[in-house]
Amino acid sequence: MIKDEILTKRPISILEKIEENLEKLNEKMEVMIEIQKNGNGNQRSAPTLPDAPLDVMTLLSMPDHLRKTAMAICRCGRATAEEIAEQTRRARAVESAYLNQLVFMGYLKKERKGRKAYFYVDRETQG
Amino acid sequence: MSKIIAVHSYKGGTGKTLLSVNLAATLAKNGKKVCIFDLDFRAPSLFAILKTENVEFWVNDYLNNTCDINKVLVDLSSRIPGNGKFFVSFANPATEAIRDMSSKDRKWEMRALGRLLALKESLLRDQKFDYLFFDTSPGLQYSSINAIVAADFVIVATTADRSDVDGTKRMLQELYNLFEKKTGLVLNKVLDSSATAKKSEMSAKVKTVYQVPMLGIVPCFCEILRAEGNLIFVQDKPDHPFTKIIAEMARKIDNNEVN
Repeated sequence: MIKDEILTKRPISILEKIEENLEKLNEKMEVMIEIQKNGNGNQRSAPTLPDAPLDVMTLLSMPDHLRKTAMAICRCGRATAEEIAEQTRRARAVESAYLNQLVFMGYLKKERKGRKAYFYVDRETQG
Repeated sequence: MSKIIAVHSYKGGTGKTLLSVNLAATLAKNGKKVCIFDLDFRAPSLFAILKTENVEFWVNDYLNNTCDINKVLVDLSSRIPGNGKFFVSFANPATEAIRDMSSKDRKWEMRALGRLLALKESLLRDQKFDYLFFDTSPGLQYSSINAIVAADFVIVATTADRSDVDGTKRMLQELYNLFEKKTGLVLNKVLDSSATAKKSEMSAKVKTVYQVPMLGIVPCFCEILRAEGNLIFVQDKPDHPFTKIIAEMARKIDNNEVN
């Protein structure tokens, strides 16, 4: 079947399929990393630290690599790792790791919609 | 391209309000749609300077999320020659309001940052404002850092005073650099002898000392002191050298020439 595909479809569409599969794999790995970090297989993305305000003083005290990501999400309000990566000009996987770290620290919230994960600063409901 | 410009300094009395009001007024005179926000909640001054009556809503109310942004904008376009638009959003000068603003917690400050960032959509994108000026409190205040983070460009006003030079240097390195802000420095109250030195030499010196580009040099003008706080030179004294210096700064900002 794979052989048929190679013969009938243009190489570009095969590459697209590979990319799609890699992305799926990446998503799964992210979830696995989260589970490993939280040490709890039942609660996939539950942060272990309480909600904390992402204010300017917090931004100032962050290490440079996290501040860059946090500033970008502050400007967007809500974004995917890919959108943040466009702003910071760093790799999507890197931003994904940093965003998940910020979620874990209680500064951001994460929401899954289909295959996409959205990160956002929860300014209104906190406190 | 439309943008938010914060005007900040390390010490007080460096000319932030003088610069903000006159730059905003100049851009409005050139036909732009401009709004200036008084974000100096500890010592509000625009209300007294622009002598406005019947202000119903303050920037404080907008940041407290008790009113819409349009309620806060006061249209003072009639005070500026030309067809531009000149709006002002005042900080509440009442003692109680100052006390209230100084007792906010971190969560409130985080939301305030969100409200300032939201102006990019509500005013710049939807209402087609060209420039928003944030006139801030000096030093490392919550409200000022919020303004800096929300801004696209920051003008730092400084003088030759040693404590100001040292503090400004530290602030640029330890605050602006961390936020990766585009910055332009204005050297204010420069004495005659140094003002007549070559502009390019001064510019190079500023770049060596502060590591940021220079936006302009303003000599010490007795007329500014004599004006006793009547600050819109663009309107009152169109031929004054200060008006010309401000016009040059406005041109640089408008053409994105601060490098």
